[in-house]
Amino acid sequence: MAVGTAGRLWARIGTGMAIAGAVGLGLVAMPAGAGAAPNLPPVSPEDLVASVEKADPGPLNGTVELDNALGLPAIPGAPDLANGTKEARVWSDGTGKGRVALPSDQGEKTLVSDGTTAWSYDSTDRTATKKAVTPGEHRPEAADPTRSAADAITELRTTSTVTVDGTAEVAGRPAYELVLAPKPTERTLLREVRIAVDSEKRIPLRLTVLATGSADPAFEVGFTDLTFGPQDPSLFTFTPPPGTTVKDAPQGDRTPGGKPAGAAPTVVGDGWDTVVIAKRPAPEQAPQGTPDLSRLGTPVSGSWGSGRLVTTAVASAILTDDGRVAAGAVPEQVLTEALSK
Amino acid sequence: MTITAETGPPTRAAAPVGRLLAAEVRWVFRRPRTLVTLGLFALIPVLIAIGVVVADRDGGGGLIGAVAGNGLVLPIAALTVALALLLPLAVAMAAADALAGEAANGTLRGLLLAPVSRLRLVGVKAFGVLVVAAAVALAIAVVGVLAGMVVVGSADGGMVTLSGTTLGLAAGLARVALVTVWVVGQLAAVGAVALAVSSLTEHPLVVLASVLGGLIAFGVLSAIPALDWLQPWLLTSGWSAGADALRDPITLDAMGSSTLRALCYAAIGVGFTLWRMQRRDA
Repeated sequence: MAVGTAGRLWARIGTGMAIAGAVGLGLVAMPAGAGAAPNLPPVSPEDLVASVEKADPGPLNGTVELDNALGLPAIPGAPDLANGTKEARVWSDGTGKGRVALPSDQGEKTLVSDGTTAWSYDSTDRTATKKAVTPGEHRPEAADPTRSAADAITELRTTSTVTVDGTAEVAGRPAYELVLAPKPTERTLLREVRIAVDSEKRIPLRLTVLATGSADPAFEVGFTDLTFGPQDPSLFTFTPPPGTTVKDAPQGDRTPGGKPAGAAPTVVGDGWDTVVIAKRPAPEQAPQGTPDLSRLGTPVSGSWGSGRLVTTAVASAILTDDGRVAAGAVPEQVLTEALSK
Repeated sequence: MTITAETGPPTRAAAPVGRLLAAEVRWVFRRPRTLVTLGLFALIPVLIAIGVVVADRDGGGGLIGAVAGNGLVLPIAALTVALALLLPLAVAMAAADALAGEAANGTLRGLLLAPVSRLRLVGVKAFGVLVVAAAVALAIAVVGVLAGMVVVGSADGGMVTLSGTTLGLAAGLARVALVTVWVVGQLAAVGAVALAVSSLTEHPLVVLASVLGGLIAFGVLSAIPALDWLQPWLLTSGWSAGADALRDPITLDAMGSSTLRALCYAAIGVGFTLWRMQRRDA
């Protein structure tokens, strides 16, 4: 009975099971490979952008993933900006009502808008914040989508090449890839911006920002899962659960006049190598909660003065000691030139 | 016991599976350490409940913080906390006793010589480990629900989800049941691997040390950013998925993928145990 024929058979079956388990583990662990690029009828960039402006996708739900590899320095008080991936679950009824859930490991932030009231609920401190919204304020009547798309593309073409470069599959849906790339004369850190547009519903499915000198996207946000169809209306209402602190959102703190004291920012250059120069609020008058920026970056100096240089994968900024900030998607040299002007 | 005088053929008929399984379960639960473990594990939710009530509100974020005034979250929080180390410890203890412990006592020899096929022996021992896993998880879940309702109390008898919606009692209990089943699945994977180690050695301590050491090693590996690519291979990387049962609408992706991973680990463990036991000399 010790190792009979049956015994050998079962030993072999045991080995088989173990190998099947290991292979299965590999299959679970491997990310799903990207499907072959779908075949779609060709479309011009103008037509594609015009159809996006006209698009009405109707009710939908899905999962959006944000992959941040911008390389922003760690800013105390703003950990959300650091590299990493984030996920959001979204629902929309297609008429301005919506719900967004931002899950974290052991909690969740929920944003619900029923068209007239917007709620935000944070499970970690169990507070619900309420704010009135005017329905439809974000939908200004576009005069003529085809015209405005053509105008927008003509404008873009002065500094960029705009093409529809092949197709892609995003969240299991075939999509066109609209690509904006800077013209060779533009001095920028960006290589190209790709927008995947759903071939049927014509809504943007994914935005990818690629920087020079790296094959991996510096920033990518897009659907990983998307379903069109009617949504449960109860998703778009919110009743604060028992034990919740309900607060009213402070109104009107986003009006233009409420901006921190300082002149309007100066814009130097145009297109991809635009540099924005602004006055920084002095530390003592900075609004509560502004991250402390005084220790970021490396010291730099030049004919324009001295300051600290902060670089990321797609943008640079110089915080000068005399209280100015120059920032843009450009290398350091362009910033210093702009500051010297 | 060895005489099976049934109306079978003259060759000795194998004992019915049902009786073997019942005998193994009785054998497992007759060990005082199993009962003590069960009793101590049932205390976990009670302690958390008392802690949450004493600490009042603002007990910090996280799942434990979500328990305050929301009793039905307690079993899920307690299971998630215990899954990190305590529940695998209980399962590893059972697996260590199942083969290595019997070998150390000298009783495994009798089992290997008995007219019970090795396959059946492994099956019975694996069943015993699974029963312990289910018992400890169930103990925490049931005591968790009771302590949650009685000590913590719940809002309108329901469960407030992390998404800010309120579920009824039945829906809340269904979520607790789902997490319990998912936890048992994860523990089955730990138990299968522990059983494989148990079949290799005659020292029960080796089984405990390798399971707990393995879990700690997995934890260290998943904390190293450069080893990100290793995450989907590690059993422990899906162990925070229990919190997903508290979202509304519920999302099952993480629990599903971690269950698949657990099934693979279980297949590896049981397969290896089978192979090893067929070759083991009495």
